[in-house]
Amino acid sequence: MSADLAVVPAPDHAHAADHGHGDGHGDHAVVENNFMGMPNIKLAMWAFLGSECMFFGSLVGTYFFYRGKALAGPLPGDVFDLTITSISTFLLLMSSLTMALAVDAIKQRKPDTTRKFLFLTALLGATFVGFQVYEFAHFVDKGLKLSTSLFGSTFYVMTGFHGGHVTVGVIWLTIVAVLIGKGKLNTGRLPINVEVAGLYWHFVDIVWIVIFTFVYLLEFIR
Amino acid sequence: MSAVHDTHAGAAGLPPHSHKKAYIRLGIVLTVVTLIELALPFLKDYPAVWEPCKPLWAPLLVAMSVFKFGAVVGEFMHLRGDRRVYQFLFISPLAIAVIIFVLVSGLTVSAFLPFGQGVALTAYDRKAGVAEPTKSSGAEAPLPDDKFKAAFDVAKGKGFAEGKEIYGRACKACHGDNGEGKAGLGFNLTDDCYQYGGSFKDLYLTIAEGRAGNKMPAQAAVLKSEEIRQVTYYVRSLKGTNATGGQPCVGPKVAD
Repeated sequence: MSADLAVVPAPDHAHAADHGHGDGHGDHAVVENNFMGMPNIKLAMWAFLGSECMFFGSLVGTYFFYRGKALAGPLPGDVFDLTITSISTFLLLMSSLTMALAVDAIKQRKPDTTRKFLFLTALLGATFVGFQVYEFAHFVDKGLKLSTSLFGSTFYVMTGFHGGHVTVGVIWLTIVAVLIGKGKLNTGRLPINVEVAGLYWHFVDIVWIVIFTFVYLLEFIR
Repeated sequence: MSAVHDTHAGAAGLPPHSHKKAYIRLGIVLTVVTLIELALPFLKDYPAVWEPCKPLWAPLLVAMSVFKFGAVVGEFMHLRGDRRVYQFLFISPLAIAVIIFVLVSGLTVSAFLPFGQGVALTAYDRKAGVAEPTKSSGAEAPLPDDKFKAAFDVAKGKGFAEGKEIYGRACKACHGDNGEGKAGLGFNLTDDCYQYGGSFKDLYLTIAEGRAGNKMPAQAAVLKSEEIRQVTYYVRSLKGTNATGGQPCVGPKVAD
């Protein structure tokens, strides 16, 4: 399946060792590079992720600012279920591994392997979202709504935005995987497109690493 | 998979070497770290280990989280060794985000540090805390009047420091910085009107149990009985101070 790809140079991000000789050799043939010799799409993604850092930083900061100031129950200790959240957290972490393997495979020009890993990543992500839907439903059952208390508002806004990001990522990865399967993507641009989708996906994972530690785990060790 | 690697893709047209093994190795490391994180809360069942090391757990969790964050960004996202521009674009806003986070939530976060626990411990930290779980059913019975009076005088001698501190975290949000009250939230505590009675016993019970039909939560769920007593003394000391911007008088006037 990769025979038709073998002659196309794959764009590669610069390795530390590459810095000495030339800027991103191999990119030029297929991906439009900007004047700095790097693909604009990747540059834009990193800039976007930088802004996302501030976005989620503010949401988590707000949660902490109002932490313990809820006037009405239920409180975190009443609703959090460490087992459920641990499972979904682990699935999301593993999806980062499968995503990294998908990016690695496309750089090896193995679109079939990439497609499988992308589907697996999307499946893990979708399962995470499923767990979150279950968790939210469970919390609402226990009387915690968006307007119940400062805990409800800050918690749902923070985790809801994260879940929204995961959902967008699942859709994105699924579309890329399906299009790879149909052979509808420009093979030369494929590596950079998969890599950029991967950057987004990993970012969603690291946001959860922070939320899970600061919001959930710290609650349980007190 | 390409077993031969580590010659950096010098020849144009050859695929760059595979990081597959390194990724899987990192995946295993991340799994182990996550398992350690998840195991921590269960250590509570072993007080002999848990208690002596208690100040360490929170910093340890944060450190593991930072490690995972760095590993995913550095290796999976390949930011380590990637172009400086990408690093700058990501790390500088991240630094701003961290600064915002620390500034906004600094006081709360300080409760997790091994030192200075008392300052920022909020009401329900106490509830969740292992130090002294309160009975969910409520506080101790109020003291007899003469004992209340004697304890009030002792607290007065200390400037109501403890009660004031508790007031700052448990009451201020609704009753205002100086007890002036807030419309729709908390009564004025600085006039001489008391909807539910103004004696030590009444105040203590109002604070501990709450009163039916208003918004005030029962503090016994989140404060220890001694804390409720201390805040009772402080609230009693506010009587007649008539803070500026006070809410209108509600309930019968209580002479001293």
